[in-house]
Amino acid sequence: MSTNDPEKLEASIHRLLRSIPDRRAPASLEARVLGELSRRAALPWWRKSYAYWPSAVRATFFVGSALAAALIVSGLFVLARTTGATALAGGVAERFSWLVLAREIAASASDRLRTLIGAIPTLWLYGTAGAIAICYATLAAIGAAAYRTLTFVRQNP
Amino acid sequence: MRKYQNMVFTTSARLVKNDAQAEDISQDVFIKAYEHFEMLSSSPAAGGWLKTVATNLSLNHLQRYRNRWRFFSELGGRDDAEGEDSPAVEFAAPDTFFEGVDADERRAWVDEALAKLPDHQRVPLVLYHFEDIPYDQIASRLGVSLAKVKTDILRARAALAKILSRGGESLAPLSH
Repeated sequence: MSTNDPEKLEASIHRLLRSIPDRRAPASLEARVLGELSRRAALPWWRKSYAYWPSAVRATFFVGSALAAALIVSGLFVLARTTGATALAGGVAERFSWLVLAREIAASASDRLRTLIGAIPTLWLYGTAGAIAICYATLAAIGAAAYRTLTFVRQNP
Repeated sequence: MRKYQNMVFTTSARLVKNDAQAEDISQDVFIKAYEHFEMLSSSPAAGGWLKTVATNLSLNHLQRYRNRWRFFSELGGRDDAEGEDSPAVEFAAPDTFFEGVDADERRAWVDEALAKLPDHQRVPLVLYHFEDIPYDQIASRLGVSLAKVKTDILRARAALAKILSRGGESLAPLSH
């Protein structure tokens, strides 16, 4: 029986592939799985993920986290209403006053850059973009050639 | 575990084409199974669940470690694709090559032939014929077009038949 009919070939390949038995798993697999399970079982609960913590600990952690969050929020609220809060905000703003200067420098540099780019002829910009694209394509081609060559050498030593 | 370890290992090994990596993946599959032991212990679909997890972990492994090379490996020539773009050749039906040949020997021949296929042909072929996954789901899972999946599987079958026909010729004296 011979075939070049795709449907017959598909059926034939399918029959062949489904007729072959499974490979035997390495003898070490079972020991590895059992070893890993033992290692995980030996870990204390606080080194496992939250889902594996004891129920009582999970509940305590949940309640504790909620209380801590409520305490922080209410503390900040109370702090904001005291007279010292304005002085604190002023102190913080003073510490970060350099950010205003940095923003002004960045804005000035951006304006100058925009002016500079506006002064460059469009043809130069297109030429530079083209050169970058050619360099990128060349690098990709060299990489592909190197990879294929090295793969070929490794597969056919 | 003993009941399913060969199936899980074989599923993974056919996809990743590397025994050491297949063993790592099989270990992960059984650890996941242990985490779902209550659900699986009484389920008649445990084998299917294990096979699906083995397939998914193997595909994740392939995508994680081979994505970076895909661009380079698929760029340029396709000289690694056995029989690709070759004119239609009439093959003897592959399932007749091994009539009378021991099952283990037949498996060794087929595994060797599968290993000669490039990844972009072997993986969809294995998913289609061994895992019974339809074309559209293979395309979706591999992130390629449906047309590419169909073409790759078609070429993979032709390449496999070609490789096996060479093996079949050398086997002929053994089987008769």
